[in-house]
Amino acid sequence: MNNLIEFIKKNFHYFLFAVLLVLSLTMIGKSMAYSNYKFARICQSITGPIQKNWSDMVHKFSLGQENEELVQQNIALMREHDNMFIVREDTLITQMSEEDSLHTTRTRMFDYTHAHIIYRTTDQAYNYLIVDKGAKDGITRDMAVTSPSGVVGVVGDVSDNFAAVIPILHPDSRISAVVSSVNQVGTVVWEGNDCRVAYLENIPQHLEINIGDSVVTSGYSNIFPKGLLVGTVKEVSMGNNASFLTIKIKLATNFNKVNTVYLIENQYKSEIDSLKAGFKTE
Amino acid sequence: MNNIISNILRFLVVILLQIFVCNYINLFGFVTPALYLLALLLLPLELPKSAQYLIGFFTGLVIDMFTHTLGVNAAACVLVMFVRPYIVRLLNGRSTVEGVDRPEPGIKDFKWIFTYVLLLSFLHQFMVVMLETASFRNFGHTLLSVLCNTVFTAFVIICAEYIFFPIKRNA
Repeated sequence: MNNLIEFIKKNFHYFLFAVLLVLSLTMIGKSMAYSNYKFARICQSITGPIQKNWSDMVHKFSLGQENEELVQQNIALMREHDNMFIVREDTLITQMSEEDSLHTTRTRMFDYTHAHIIYRTTDQAYNYLIVDKGAKDGITRDMAVTSPSGVVGVVGDVSDNFAAVIPILHPDSRISAVVSSVNQVGTVVWEGNDCRVAYLENIPQHLEINIGDSVVTSGYSNIFPKGLLVGTVKEVSMGNNASFLTIKIKLATNFNKVNTVYLIENQYKSEIDSLKAGFKTE
Repeated sequence: MNNIISNILRFLVVILLQIFVCNYINLFGFVTPALYLLALLLLPLELPKSAQYLIGFFTGLVIDMFTHTLGVNAAACVLVMFVRPYIVRLLNGRSTVEGVDRPEPGIKDFKWIFTYVLLLSFLHQFMVVMLETASFRNFGHTLLSVLCNTVFTAFVIICAEYIFFPIKRNA
């Protein structure tokens, strides 16, 4: 008897080794065979939250790159979404069927790129923004500037590497826009002080404008494509001027927060402008 | 006493590093270093064998919980702890060791450490990869995976050992 106890004592670690090995092997077998092995689920419930928090933290380091990729994707989607093409006989059409596109050469009317705002003012009488792209990147005067949430402004001045944007928040800014519910064209102007609101002018008094109606670009200025959101109607009142309404609009873009902007170039602007100029001189 | 604390601390640091850093390393899509093996390899040899197996088992299990491979690392670690004394005896050969025998740089020379780590890393990685794949299909790739993982794991562990014990070499 004593011998047996002595034997077990001496060789206990062999038994333990065998037990542990068998135990781990059965665990492998079980977690492979049953997808809802109870012990595996208990372990998952312990490690899951830890790993979630950790990966969220690690994820933050790659947000910059991910953001950049999303911007690129947005530009690709904007190009795809925009149906403004110049077709064979220089006819501007907005919708094309599949068969048509096989037989005609199409040229894009608007081209898109992006930039980051590196300097901005929003509380002055004459506000402006500086973006990190310039003539070297193909930025030219009068390109349209939008943010993911709405219209920002128009490129005013371009240097080699940078461009100055005249935002809506500038007394000289004039953006042709329509109230989408009544389809009436007006002009968006800014009257100082508040970077969240602007005014829509030249809307006749007989039209019924509701609060909350959206104001979008008209596409008549050759700068902005049609249908970009400028803001929503906030207040409607009878103006001093007898025939027009005073419409206060809440701007869609938060000028204090916007960081990435999209620049849109109308590739036929000079051509259309020269036509217009011809009419004016006559 | 000092030794126990430093061992416990080492386990904590190494397991945390394994869970939060090494497990996210994925070279060429299949190479992940098992740095946590370092703590097991540095365990004092004079520890009771049963205790060594238990430590190996639970360390492996903790790692498994985070990699969702229940039992794989546990089995590999138990096996490593089982084989370790034989490897040490093999490497010591005929040379008698005076005082405490510890598998650490400073006490052992680089050649000893290198073979010790490489052999046990190979055993560990062989077990882990084989148990994970659990098939002999595409055996060439499995073997390549074992070899790459072994080399990388051994490299990381040896580097870490010489960072952990830089001064003792002269002592």
